[in-house]
Amino acid sequence: MGRLKVKGKAGAAKNYTTRSAAVKKLQCSLADFRRLCILKGIFPREPRNKKKANKGSSAPASFYYTKDIAYLAHEPILKKLREHKAFAKKISRALGRGEWDSAKSLEENKPHYRLDHIIKERYPTFIDAVRDIDDALCMVFLFSSLPSNSRLPPELVENCARLSKEWQLFVMHHRALRKVFLSIKGVYYQAEVMDQQVTWLVPYQFTQSVPSDVDIRVMLTFLELYQTLLSFVFFKLYSDAGLVYPPPLDAVKDEGGAGINAFNLQDSSRSAPTQQVKTVSIDGRQISVKDVKQTIKAISANSDADTADVEMPGTQEDQPEAEEEFMFHQSSTDTGSNASLPTLQALSALPQTLTTNLFAPYTFFLSRETSRSIFEFVIRSFGGRIGWPASSGAGSPFDESDPSITHVIIDRPVVKKEETPAQRELRLQRKFVQPQWVIDCINAGKVLIEERYLQGQTLPPHLSPFGEYEGAYNPVNTIEVKDTADMSEQATDSEEDDAMEANDDVADAVAIEDPAALRAAELAAEAAGVDYGTFEAKVKDATKRQGKRVSATEDDAEGDMNKMMMSNKQKKLYEKMKYSQRKKETERTTLEDRKKELLLSKPGQAPPMSAPPRLLHTHLRPLPQLVPSLVLPYAFLQII
Amino acid sequence: MAQHGGRKSTKRKQIDEEEHPQDLPPNGALEMLTDEEDAGDASSDDGQVDAFPEIVAKSDSDNSEDGEEEDSDNVEEEDEEEESDDDAERDDSLHVFPQAKVVISDITKQLKTVYPEIEPDYDSDSSTEDPPNRVGNIPMHWYDDMPHVGYDMNGKQVLRPARGDELDKFLATVDDASAWTSAFDKNTQSDKPLTPEELDLIRRLYAGENPDATYDPYEPTVEWFTGEGKQEIMPLSGALQPKRRWIPSKWEKQKVMKIVRAIRHGRILPSKPKSTSKFEPYAIWSEPSSSHPPPLPAPKPRLPTNAESYNPPEEYLPTEEERKTWEEQDPEDRERDYLPQKFPSLRLVPAYDRFMKERFNRQLDLYLAPRVQRVKLNIDPNSLIPKLPSPNSLKPFPNYRSLQVHHSGNRVRCVSVSPDGAWVISGDETGVVSLWEINVGREVKRWKFEGKIGALGWCPRTDVNYFAVGIEDAISFIIPPNVDASVLSPTQSVLAPTTLPPPATTPSPVKWVTPPSSSWSLETPILTIQLPSTSGTTSNFSWHRRGDYFASVSSGGSVWIHQVTRRHSQAPFKKIKGAVQAVLFHPLKPHFFVATQQYVRIYNLSEQKLVKTLLPGIRWISSMDVHPSGDHLIVGGYDRKLCWFDLELSDKPYKVLRYHSRAIRSLQFHPTYPLFASSSDDGSIQVFHSRVYNDLMTDPLIVPLKILRGHYVTDGLGVLQVKWCSKHPWLVSSGADGSVAVWCS
Repeated sequence: MGRLKVKGKAGAAKNYTTRSAAVKKLQCSLADFRRLCILKGIFPREPRNKKKANKGSSAPASFYYTKDIAYLAHEPILKKLREHKAFAKKISRALGRGEWDSAKSLEENKPHYRLDHIIKERYPTFIDAVRDIDDALCMVFLFSSLPSNSRLPPELVENCARLSKEWQLFVMHHRALRKVFLSIKGVYYQAEVMDQQVTWLVPYQFTQSVPSDVDIRVMLTFLELYQTLLSFVFFKLYSDAGLVYPPPLDAVKDEGGAGINAFNLQDSSRSAPTQQVKTVSIDGRQISVKDVKQTIKAISANSDADTADVEMPGTQEDQPEAEEEFMFHQSSTDTGSNASLPTLQALSALPQTLTTNLFAPYTFFLSRETSRSIFEFVIRSFGGRIGWPASSGAGSPFDESDPSITHVIIDRPVVKKEETPAQRELRLQRKFVQPQWVIDCINAGKVLIEERYLQGQTLPPHLSPFGEYEGAYNPVNTIEVKDTADMSEQATDSEEDDAMEANDDVADAVAIEDPAALRAAELAAEAAGVDYGTFEAKVKDATKRQGKRVSATEDDAEGDMNKMMMSNKQKKLYEKMKYSQRKKETERTTLEDRKKELLLSKPGQAPPMSAPPRLLHTHLRPLPQLVPSLVLPYAFLQII
Repeated sequence: MAQHGGRKSTKRKQIDEEEHPQDLPPNGALEMLTDEEDAGDASSDDGQVDAFPEIVAKSDSDNSEDGEEEDSDNVEEEDEEEESDDDAERDDSLHVFPQAKVVISDITKQLKTVYPEIEPDYDSDSSTEDPPNRVGNIPMHWYDDMPHVGYDMNGKQVLRPARGDELDKFLATVDDASAWTSAFDKNTQSDKPLTPEELDLIRRLYAGENPDATYDPYEPTVEWFTGEGKQEIMPLSGALQPKRRWIPSKWEKQKVMKIVRAIRHGRILPSKPKSTSKFEPYAIWSEPSSSHPPPLPAPKPRLPTNAESYNPPEEYLPTEEERKTWEEQDPEDRERDYLPQKFPSLRLVPAYDRFMKERFNRQLDLYLAPRVQRVKLNIDPNSLIPKLPSPNSLKPFPNYRSLQVHHSGNRVRCVSVSPDGAWVISGDETGVVSLWEINVGREVKRWKFEGKIGALGWCPRTDVNYFAVGIEDAISFIIPPNVDASVLSPTQSVLAPTTLPPPATTPSPVKWVTPPSSSWSLETPILTIQLPSTSGTTSNFSWHRRGDYFASVSSGGSVWIHQVTRRHSQAPFKKIKGAVQAVLFHPLKPHFFVATQQYVRIYNLSEQKLVKTLLPGIRWISSMDVHPSGDHLIVGGYDRKLCWFDLELSDKPYKVLRYHSRAIRSLQFHPTYPLFASSSDDGSIQVFHSRVYNDLMTDPLIVPLKILRGHYVTDGLGVLQVKWCSKHPWLVSSGADGSVAVWCS
């Protein structure tokens, strides 16, 4: 006989801990526990059997793994939180007593915790971290657009804004942007970094308000983690790309509202010599004050030289080829200093695909009602040059009168007005396109014709580049083609004479009935003056059709009967799957039906062609794509 | 007297000293002491000096030199004169003492000073007056009850002075101007005027001033040791200063240096390094990470679809009712958290009002929602349906209804097919039993009995031809009409032998009755078994394959096994647990199946013991049948289940099927074809292919073949019994709608 088993000592009862038990064990407040869970990424689990995990009680509770909690108990941050609790008591006591001096010194020695070890724990490799920065980016972009108040210190908002700009800067520099989607919630961007798809959502440029049912403390805790994570990730990304992190900020430009342009991307190789000086001084003899002073002088001189050397980002964008060349030189020269970098740089210096240089031949100008933050980022990520009026911020590399401008992104209705010949000349030289054109071009991976996007035109629908689930309704599919084909067939049918149709029906009905009926039908057909051969053919056809129908129904019936041999479990699974299939199916069919209705209700108009037309500019069109790109418009023309 | 004088003199001496400190004679001029005075001098060392001031004046300082210069008398005289001069001078200012006169002595003829006589009672000052009361400083209330207030010097009582009444007192205060500055003296029991000093003292106390009139709170400071020229230059002691006074301490230095070194080396930090809020990233991923696997990444939110576009295709826009239902739904129930909208241009897109809320919800999901890993099956649901051979390949099986026989709307409970497969008998609840041909449905004969027909059973023997009919609690044996003569006589001899077998030794409650041979006709049964009247309607027959024995079950639950040749009935069980629903003979072995409500028990009849109990797990068994091979059993229940038992394997069902929507009423295996059928209250008959393999390894193959519909459900009852035709794959079914149908292949 084995040992007696005691209830609640093994299995689920031991593996799971309720939240209140966890808080009790960790001896911290619920708020501290929440903070720990957020920072450490510990979340509740769903036990197989709640009653067993809750020691027989079926009261609602949230469960954590006991091992997770034991792991939390050794967390240095927990210690810091306890220290902070003591600190809060001390400082409130000092303030209550009016002991300003001791309060001040307490405040100076306030306990701080660092999150480095947590980042390392949660993301052991860099890829893990990159995979998980979606939420972090969304939060940082959101908070960079929030107004600061007592709960949101301005430094926080500023830091968020800095991080968001650094990310944009990196994406632009790396040409990592892949997809953009203008949704009603904001703008979705998708970039490919380290082979990971990073998607983030940026709200439109409006002041966001914090609703009352949102607990800002939770968000701030998350933000704390995310800021740390992002700065580590950016550091790695920048240093792998051979750039200095953090990129130095030009305060004057920032004041002028230059946005991303306020940052200077610096090559880390330039600052390398100063670092060498530093290391030498450290490695060698003891540093005297004089040495230090000299070094400082040297450094400042160097940095001065740097700033003097560094071009404006706008001008850098002017010569993308030059930049590429420059990059190449870098990688070839300083192989000694950083051995791991050349490969990465070489990788990035590889001839990029056509799509990332989509806008390279064009120069854009934003009109003042378009959002500069979106389009500057997007266009520069795809190699275009962009300028903007002074009302959108400082730092525009050229003004409106620049003759190199090929496209003006404009988002207002056409207004007839008098214009001078010079203006008219300028207007004819440029294309005035609506903002959606830029985004659709990016998602299509090629430059679309501007005709349908010109100023004042009704825009074609903007579709999600992320696609839908498999088998979902696809608005690009031209179901109307099939429909019209059917209709035409019907029309030809109606052209045929009634007798034929009657015969058809007779043949159909008779097809597999007894030979007597067949004989009767044959006689009737003969009376109607139908050739025997044709009649026979029809009968054959009808029998075939009917046979098909019959076999189909038989199959169905068989399937239904075979279902009774399924086990109960399989039956349930089957029903579930069928349910979801049916749901998707109805969703699709409703959309299709609605589209048909819309088509019928507006017969005179061109059907809303959902697919972006794929006609390309000749100079960009790759030859193999020519044929498939022509197919669709052809069908399109046929419908009209 | 002397004492008093002495006191006075000290006073005078003080005044002298203050006024004429310079005029004081040198020490040597104090010789004028009389002899008596000397004596007195010795006694009054401590200041109680003689009465005479001139003598006493310097007595304090003189005392030490008394003995030395006693004898110089001459000097004394001179001194006396001087003193008198001084006195005269003093008298002008202070008339304390009476004026002395200088006269020429009668006796010596010399000048002498004559003082006026002192009258002790009158001229002495108040202090010299003897207080009349000599009790001392005692609480005077001790004398409150006494007529006296103390004692005088001579021990006489001092009587309490008479005190006037209150009016007198008042009058006295009015008369006497000084009355308010006088106080009652308890010692003398009289009012005494307060002295000016005392009054001054009272005033000071009253004003809160220092009671001492001579005290000067603002005395100028007298600097003794500070200030110019007053410093102490010379040390108090002549000892040499120790070296340590001016050399820095070595040990102190060592201690300080220890701290300094510690600070330099960084062992002691002057103040904690300021925790910098400025955070500096570094290459955190440059060193290798720990070996344990990273936690699972959080699931990513769903990517936006076309419906979320600011300019979606028009078909995505919600209709009015969709919009309304969306708005009425709880936010948790909504399939999408937004309504698709269409804007003609990007500049018109407003801010999304739930942006913050959605982000917050995402974070709540991240830290509050339990995460479960689910395996998403990406399979075609149709692949779950078992692949079975097509029914078309398993022909023949009953496919369509070839004919229907009606019983005028009465429930046809039972039906039976003759062993040659040409005839069918069916019996309804009104007592009608009809015999008809299976091929064309022509009714050959109709019997009408009193009472319900509960069961019908054709004897399986081919050399004889008769069937048994269960009518209420009786079982009748009938020979069908038009039977061949070669069959008829053996049948008659079986059912009604000329010589009856000897009756059983034990009396049986079951009566076997044969009418006399003269009254035999086709209308009446040739043999009737009368079961005990309490047993109820016979509901189930089961013939043994030889055709000699048959078992009957009554609705009361009693089981009888009848032997036709011996005309004997016996109850195989003394007591049965549960109500028996059906019984069966094993086709090959001497086994007997008994289905009670929930169990099927198998008994060995020859050994008379229980072989096995099967547990179908059915709530209420309705029917069962055994496969012709004898190894398989199907059991149907009112709870729609059909259980297939492999008797070799286990007492649990090999397969449980639930396909009928209502209770299963009847089941039967085809005796020759691999088919079985079940009928149900849902009005349908399900035909299965059931192939049983001889080797023990292969599972029996069950393939559903056909659902036969055609019976109507009346009063919740559908098809009550199905029977197979033994030679053909044909099925005969009787329904509650009063019809009997033949289903042919």
